[in-house]
Amino acid sequence: MDDVGEESQFVVDEVSTIIKEAVESTIGGNAYQHNKVNQWTSSVVETLLGTLTKQQKPFKYIVTCTIMQKNGAGLHTASSCYWDNTSDGSCTVRWENKSMYCIVSVFGLAI
Amino acid sequence: MLGDSKLSNDKLEVDNIDNQQPGSQQSFQIRPHLVAKFRPQVVKELVQNILSEQLSGKVYADEDMSALTKDIALTVRQRVAAMKFDRYKILVQVVLGEQRGAGVKMGARCMWDSDADNYASAEYENDTLFCVVTVFAVFIY
Repeated sequence: MDDVGEESQFVVDEVSTIIKEAVESTIGGNAYQHNKVNQWTSSVVETLLGTLTKQQKPFKYIVTCTIMQKNGAGLHTASSCYWDNTSDGSCTVRWENKSMYCIVSVFGLAI
Repeated sequence: MLGDSKLSNDKLEVDNIDNQQPGSQQSFQIRPHLVAKFRPQVVKELVQNILSEQLSGKVYADEDMSALTKDIALTVRQRVAAMKFDRYKILVQVVLGEQRGAGVKMGARCMWDSDADNYASAEYENDTLFCVVTVFAVFIY
């Protein structure tokens, strides 16, 4: 039906799975450690970007990752975009374990 | 003599081509014009102002913060769009959290055209909350 094939579209479910895998593999069951967070955030965004670019889709990607220690403090995140709704897409995943929250957003912009 | 005048004629033509308005020919623009280029420093200042306006004196209260976060995202996007960076897609991300001594780390990586695309980021902090706003601008070819 669609004249645009799935290979050149931003598939939210697929991206969401990739995000979860990337976070699981880097952080997994680790407890929050101040000196490790730097490395974790970099590692999460880099693995993610690596996997996304390997798909060879005509997209530019923006990947952000926020890791926050759990101590009862609240956290809100919002995004607002001026773009082409038909081709661009975003996906945000909230992941948590016992000691931290990890919020990852991926924005895909069609070239 | 003859050679000289021919040379100056040639030069004149070259000048004419240089003076042509960009866009007068059918072509694809692959770089932003200098005047319409995204300026991170200006945007950073704008965002900083918006944050001070909206958050100064605010105390973190869970029930209001969801709406406030969305409101900041929307305001920033509208104000950045009003700056007339033509041919840019604008993405605004706002993270607002409670200040309770929890460690927070944010990171971002982009796969894009670093000659044309750019970002600006601004932070605000008071006794009970912190807020980080990142604006990404992606050039439309």
